[in-house]
Amino acid sequence: MSKRMSTYYWMTIPAVLLFFLFLTLPAIQGVYYSFTNYNGFGKTYDFIWFRNYINLFTDNVVGDAYWFTIKFAVVVTIFVNVFSLLIALGLNASIKFRNFFRGIYFLPNILSVLIVGYIFNYLFSNVFTVWGQSLGINALSTNILGNENLAWIGVVIVAVWQSIALNTILYLAGLQTISKDMYEASSLDGAGKWREFWSITFPLIAPFFTINMVLAMKNALMVFDQIVALTNGGPGRATQSISFLIYTGGFEGGEFAYQSANSVIYFIVIAVISILQIRFLQRREMDM
Amino acid sequence: MKENTKINWPINILVAIGTLIILFPLYMALTIALKDPQQMSQSLFGLPTKWRFDNFANAIEVTNFFQAFRNSALVTTATVVLTLLTNSMVAYAIGRNMERSKFFKGLYFYFVSAMFIPFPIIMLPIVKLTASLHMTNLVGLTILHTVYALAFNVFVYVGYIRSIPVALEEAATVDGASTWGTFWRIIFPLMAPINATVGILVCLSTYNDFLLPLIIVSDQDMYTLPLVQYIFQGQFNTDYNLAFASYLLAMLPMIVIYLFAQKWIISGVTRGSVK
Amino acid sequence: MRKWGSACLAGLLIILTLAACSGGGNNASGVVELEFFQNKPEAKGSFDKLVAKFNEQHPNIHVSQVNPPDAETVLKTRVVKDDIPDIIGLGATDTYSLLAQSEIFLNLTNDPLLQNIDPKYVQMLTDVTGMQEVTGVPFALNASGVIYNKDIFQKLGLSVPKTWDELIATAKKAKEADVIPFYFTYKDDWQTNLPFNDMGGTLVGIDFYKERRENKTTFQSAYQEVAKKQLELLNYGHSDNFGKNYADGNRAFGNGESAMYIQGSWAISEIRKVNPDINLGFFPLPGSNDEAQNKLTAGVDTLLAISNQTEHPEEAKQFISFLLQPENSQQYIDEQNLFSSVDGVQQKDESVSGLLPYFEQGKIVDFVDHYIPSAVQLNPTVQAFLQNKDINAFLGTLDKEWDKVAARRAS
Repeated sequence: MSKRMSTYYWMTIPAVLLFFLFLTLPAIQGVYYSFTNYNGFGKTYDFIWFRNYINLFTDNVVGDAYWFTIKFAVVVTIFVNVFSLLIALGLNASIKFRNFFRGIYFLPNILSVLIVGYIFNYLFSNVFTVWGQSLGINALSTNILGNENLAWIGVVIVAVWQSIALNTILYLAGLQTISKDMYEASSLDGAGKWREFWSITFPLIAPFFTINMVLAMKNALMVFDQIVALTNGGPGRATQSISFLIYTGGFEGGEFAYQSANSVIYFIVIAVISILQIRFLQRREMDM
Repeated sequence: MKENTKINWPINILVAIGTLIILFPLYMALTIALKDPQQMSQSLFGLPTKWRFDNFANAIEVTNFFQAFRNSALVTTATVVLTLLTNSMVAYAIGRNMERSKFFKGLYFYFVSAMFIPFPIIMLPIVKLTASLHMTNLVGLTILHTVYALAFNVFVYVGYIRSIPVALEEAATVDGASTWGTFWRIIFPLMAPINATVGILVCLSTYNDFLLPLIIVSDQDMYTLPLVQYIFQGQFNTDYNLAFASYLLAMLPMIVIYLFAQKWIISGVTRGSVK
Repeated sequence: MRKWGSACLAGLLIILTLAACSGGGNNASGVVELEFFQNKPEAKGSFDKLVAKFNEQHPNIHVSQVNPPDAETVLKTRVVKDDIPDIIGLGATDTYSLLAQSEIFLNLTNDPLLQNIDPKYVQMLTDVTGMQEVTGVPFALNASGVIYNKDIFQKLGLSVPKTWDELIATAKKAKEADVIPFYFTYKDDWQTNLPFNDMGGTLVGIDFYKERRENKTTFQSAYQEVAKKQLELLNYGHSDNFGKNYADGNRAFGNGESAMYIQGSWAISEIRKVNPDINLGFFPLPGSNDEAQNKLTAGVDTLLAISNQTEHPEEAKQFISFLLQPENSQQYIDEQNLFSSVDGVQQKDESVSGLLPYFEQGKIVDFVDHYIPSAVQLNPTVQAFLQNKDINAFLGTLDKEWDKVAARRAS
């Protein structure tokens, strides 16, 4: 027994050491710096304890970034899940060329977020505007990425376009676990499609709903590459996400310690949201 | 079931229309990459009248495409192999012991909780650390990718391992097999589906990663494909045709793999999530 | 089992060690290796030529140029790694100021390298860093102002405006003739700071920032006119001012879509890539109606600094002195459409001939954003202002951000 256990220990210990060295230790250093006024590369710095944190809570730039990120994440999560569930239902219906269509819907998932962003950046400024002008729609004839109030929608569109791929495939997998007998065996024979969906299909794919909600939310809260490729945080600060602010402020702005404090808060926010979401959705799964 | 169900044409058509939304940006990318600026101003959406493969030839030359491709391929392959061999083993030890041992349960949460650490918080310390260990190269990049993959992979693997009946291993133990031998000979082969999933996900994320190579790699000869796109963006920002040719080249290896292994990739991802 | 386990651990350690070993560079041939890091992707080709020439003339020294993407971030990470390049070329911006204050550059005060350099430009560096020591050699200068299409000007019978009112009148005439007066490219936030820099320099000046550091003045009180005029310019743009970026603008202006283009001299080579035959001119943006007050915005585009950790400071100085030779400086500014800091070296390109009198008479003023900490995030603030058009909120934000950053830096 102890021999067996010792093998188990040996299987994990090297990984634990490396993980500690490359992840935990730097994270602890990050927390440590958050109590200083270190600019990232200077030779000296002082301890200022909670000053960074106090400044954070009175900084409306930081507040705006949190507001944008959370608004963005909620909207993206909803749209991604609605669209991918619809597409998955469509793909699961009796249709021709199902595998071909499935292959196309999954395609965006294998592409680099940065490059997809660059492509859409071009489309927003040079293609969609041309459509808007020829159709005479004013709202479409200017680049929405350049509009302070609408730019975030542009980022949402790109994020949804790309995230749908993975979530669709996961929903489809869930739908395929439901055998036809389930519908036939249910007393709802003859009931409308709508009712059938809510009373049979949806409860059976609830675990997939949980995974998809958590995945979509987490990815959206971390949004970074799309911002770099599409808006660079603009116009103004309208699309500055939290991780983008940490990166630009911490490196380009030379305020590493201040943004370290920001990322400590950010870490807490992401952890709390994810845990709450998992708890809530798992409880619903049980109920259903 | 397949043969005798009626085809649902309205839905079939809707699904087909939906794929146009997915394909349109890629169609635009392809046609822009094949046109020259004059053709672009004549017709934005049409197929190119003259196919300009020069754009691709120029992009290959300017971005030193083959070197960047080699670097990306090396890092991606090495990371996938190393990740499959090490992460599965770590997860196995955790998955089999977390019920009875506080230590392994603790490890599980230690690894998994790291999924929530925002990368920017470790970015600067990591730069210092890798420099002092002389890891500012492709090998260092591979190690970091493998170590960071642990957080998510332990989560995925453990879920899968716990669904494999212990009876199999107990039988092997009775026959005198060691834990180590049991893992490699019995469990690891059984994990093929989840290994496929992890392999695909790691392959995609490593190949498409941008920020880590940017801060880790100092030598220009070691730049990966996304990094090269980034240089390109600044250097040739007025020449859309050249830029799009380069984007397509960078995405091409993955698209080619996907064309051939599409079914396998999708079912891998799917099976993994079913756990 | 234990054997297997330790083998595994050993394996990982071997990988780590291998990684460690493959890192270090070495040179045994007695040739001094120097790394020259510079931040301008568009200048890579020009520097390549000069470096090759230098290496040929100096068989004992081998300089290699490094020009990574996102160079300022990479440079900061290199500094964090304690792996500072021997010679560094970058603009006199807030990044330079931060690095200089971190004391990573060799002190070049009174160094013979500065002998043939116009002291005006050296002072620009010390003004930016706020330090007594000189830690860089100005190499090339750029200018910002208004690029105009000479053919369109001729066709519409326009002449180069010398005052603010003339500028607006010119824009009006172009608009009446259905020509876009200014092609704004405000999707990129850094583009919005160009008129801010131009007018901030002429209407307010650099001394404002020294006083602002001492809390003797505010943006709210000093920048009203700049903000108002920047808004007025917006009336003479095109239909999608915030939807087009710098690259779009270079293409559109190159294709003759607008009469004027508020831009830096760095754009000239990009515009010519689109249309090699375009007939260009350049004039300073006249912020004031008093002709004597109008100055050209010009700053240090590239300065050369030496790491104080380099093992070969003498060879590094040799390289810099080589770049400063009139012949080489001339070659560089000709290829890059810049201006030289070296006495007697002149930019002869006719597109910028209108600017030379300003350089000769010293009627130049630095980019004011070189004096604004980058954490204040001037660019997105100006971009937001141009959209919501609220002058008081804009200047209030600048003051508030300035104070916040100052408080953080001081604490």
